[in-house]
Amino acid sequence: MPSLLRELIVIAAFVAAGSGYTLFTGLAPSPWVKGELDAGEIKYEDAEVIDAIWVDARSEAMFAQAHLPGAFSLNDANWEDNIIPLTGAWLENPRPLIVYCSSESCDTSKRIAARLRAVLPDAEIYSLHGGWPQ
Amino acid sequence: MNREAAKALLILIIRLVVAGIFVRAALPKIDAPSAFASAVQGFQIVSVSFSVWVAIILPWTELVAGIGLLVPAIRRGSGLILSVLLISFIALHASAWARGLDISCGCFGTESVTTSRYPWFITRNALLLAATILVVIRDFKAATKPENVPPCS
Repeated sequence: MPSLLRELIVIAAFVAAGSGYTLFTGLAPSPWVKGELDAGEIKYEDAEVIDAIWVDARSEAMFAQAHLPGAFSLNDANWEDNIIPLTGAWLENPRPLIVYCSSESCDTSKRIAARLRAVLPDAEIYSLHGGWPQ
Repeated sequence: MNREAAKALLILIIRLVVAGIFVRAALPKIDAPSAFASAVQGFQIVSVSFSVWVAIILPWTELVAGIGLLVPAIRRGSGLILSVLLISFIALHASAWARGLDISCGCFGTESVTTSRYPWFITRNALLLAATILVVIRDFKAATKPENVPPCS
């Protein structure tokens, strides 16, 4: 068994050398540097040029004050009432769905996007990076 | 050719095939780790930063263990590692299939895969696993044979 351990150590050393080569020659992005976008996020500049259905994940009061043209209000509080019109709009004309909230620190858009993915598994769904720059 | 020689030849062929497949699978991933990281993210199991670590380390593990299967000094360890990898790949594909994900397999780089091909990928990995286990058993038996034990002084 000690010889097997030696074999595993030799293999690990070669793997570490190879991984070091990949990392330090810049072939791969550095895993410790956080990417600009998280998985499932889209930037506003990219989002505004595509034909998408906007989903406003903020409170209904904030939605009433201002929202993106044509946006649907959908948050945890009004989910049961508003999910049907939204899915109807998507089924009628399937397009990417982009969920936004108000700021970088607002996590609601990601949560609502995750809930939407469960309801519409075939839909292309993003959360807006950084929130809506109103 | 006696039975033992035929068996040895068969094991050698299996060893070469398994090693070749893993080396062939590793090279495109070493060349394009970012694309492989995206394929790993598609499985929706690990975080983005962890997927980059996987994309850096896994291809080298496949390459070293694939070549190692042909090197007597490290072939048992290599065979064990390849077996563990294949079991993980089967579990990952089964999990992705069960969740209805339509993703790139990432097996040989970034080729696209549709959900309908999951049975083929699981079968292929299961066959590779069976072949690798055969080689591993053979190598462990060879390592514990009495003639390989150094004589007592």
